[in-house]
Amino acid sequence: MRVLLSIVSVCLVWVATTVAQDLSIIKTGATKTMLDVSSLKQGGGKAEEFVNVIQNDLTRSGWFKVVKDRGATIRLHGEVGTSGETLTISLELLNTATGRPYFSRKQSERLGDLRRVAHALSDDIVKAVRGKRGMASTRIALIGSLAGKKNLYVCDSDGRGITRLTKDDVACLSPAWDPSGDNLYYTSFHKGFPDVYRIDMKNLRRSAVSSHPGVNAGPSLSRDGKMIALTLSRDGNPELYTMSVGSGRLTRLTRTRFAAEASPSWSPDGKQIVYVSDVTGSPHLYIIGRKGGQGRRLTRKGSQNVAPDWGTTGKIVFSSRRDGAYHLVMYNPETRKELQLTRDAADHEEPSWAPDGRHIVYVRTKSYRMELYVLDTLGDPEIRLSPLKGDWYSPAWSP
Amino acid sequence: MNKRWIVGMSLLCVALLSCGCPPKRGDSDGADVLNPDVLDEEVMDPRWEIDDANRIHDVAFDSVGFRYDNYQIEMDEAAKIEAVADFMKDEGGSRVVTEGHCDERGSREYNLALGEHRAQAVRAYLISLGVEGERIQTRSYGEEHPRSSEHNESAWRENRRVEFSLYRQ
Repeated sequence: MRVLLSIVSVCLVWVATTVAQDLSIIKTGATKTMLDVSSLKQGGGKAEEFVNVIQNDLTRSGWFKVVKDRGATIRLHGEVGTSGETLTISLELLNTATGRPYFSRKQSERLGDLRRVAHALSDDIVKAVRGKRGMASTRIALIGSLAGKKNLYVCDSDGRGITRLTKDDVACLSPAWDPSGDNLYYTSFHKGFPDVYRIDMKNLRRSAVSSHPGVNAGPSLSRDGKMIALTLSRDGNPELYTMSVGSGRLTRLTRTRFAAEASPSWSPDGKQIVYVSDVTGSPHLYIIGRKGGQGRRLTRKGSQNVAPDWGTTGKIVFSSRRDGAYHLVMYNPETRKELQLTRDAADHEEPSWAPDGRHIVYVRTKSYRMELYVLDTLGDPEIRLSPLKGDWYSPAWSP
Repeated sequence: MNKRWIVGMSLLCVALLSCGCPPKRGDSDGADVLNPDVLDEEVMDPRWEIDDANRIHDVAFDSVGFRYDNYQIEMDEAAKIEAVADFMKDEGGSRVVTEGHCDERGSREYNLALGEHRAQAVRAYLISLGVEGERIQTRSYGEEHPRSSEHNESAWRENRRVEFSLYRQ
């Protein structure tokens, strides 16, 4: 009974009308676990920041409500302190209902690693208590346009620690991670033409991946990291190809002389690719096998459907032009049912799944100002990500 | 031969080659299918090194306008491309980059592909007018380099374009 009482059930029920075949989809919010941090002693200053990062991470995860209430089911207790440049942690995560600890930690870390260590601990708590993959330790690649100068950046999943990777001040777009998170691919004009590059995130070396005549764009890495899907126009108009990371061998997937293809994204099993084609005269989504064949159109709703991202859970999120604005829509290719995620008067574009399969980062544009937001597909309020001035777009969540 | 007739036939050729309306396709359950075509391809020639010192500045050519989400060359825009073809046939050593642009609406990635499709439609028309393919490169800027930074119909119309950058060898 106590367990039941200390779990907050947030049941957000809303009905998405006018879905394909006029089916109604009921969305249910996730239950939150009450987690008490009030008995965690902190030595002030940086130690307080450490605890704040954990509270913030656990709240953002969507699986916890952080409370100062000893009646909570889960209690984080122990001590966090600093001495000189060292952060010392001694704590235990306790299930008060069973009296058993999930885990305990004794760590000494460099003070400079404070946020990284806190994020890792937060993800461990999410995993231990809820059995879910956290996202606190992940990063987001993004493009920033500051005073008209465009560059590739990367930041932590909470929007902090924003770092500029390039100094080209030229147009660049479509960052995409490989599944290890060790390499970041993107399209850049720094040598004059739109070519695809890979940045080794360990040593920040950049190398050209594809620089055929015409356009080289929209890289997407298969889940095994062995193949890149991309748009090339070397054969006379923009078509979809795959390229072997190891050998560079190209396979052409589409043959649409009267249409342009763009924005590929791999299915979790690596057998299919979702992409954009304007073969009907305006851009819509299609799914094609990894070796080519016939593209199958995904949805008939919306005057345009663009920018798909096929998540690890099997669901595709994309941007659909409906009622005069771009809205985010989540589509399940197995059931062929869709759910419109946004309805407010703004444009919602370039969605990218978080590796937790629950959150989505996207570009929200209102009054021609672009900002990044994190949306919760289980119904928690969305959070604005970009803390800086300027325009931020094309977010890509790391694995 | 009548010039008007040549223009008409050239446009028709390009329409047949690369710029025709996508035919409406459908099957009994209403699903759209892609019909891969097996026409010969106009494979792009290798890139040549662009040297800004060789940029031709003394002649300027009007950029070609396009309709929204469309890459087809309008009848009344064709003369702009013909002017470039005439110049290039006179100046044997000249080369051109056709640069495709889109308005700000829609997805950046799709616009990059659409801008390329526009640049290649202009390239195909230049080839049909007798300019050798190896003298023509395409470059899409998508929506990244708008000519007008306003957000209205007239700015969008101005931004949907293919520009010509000419070079001497």
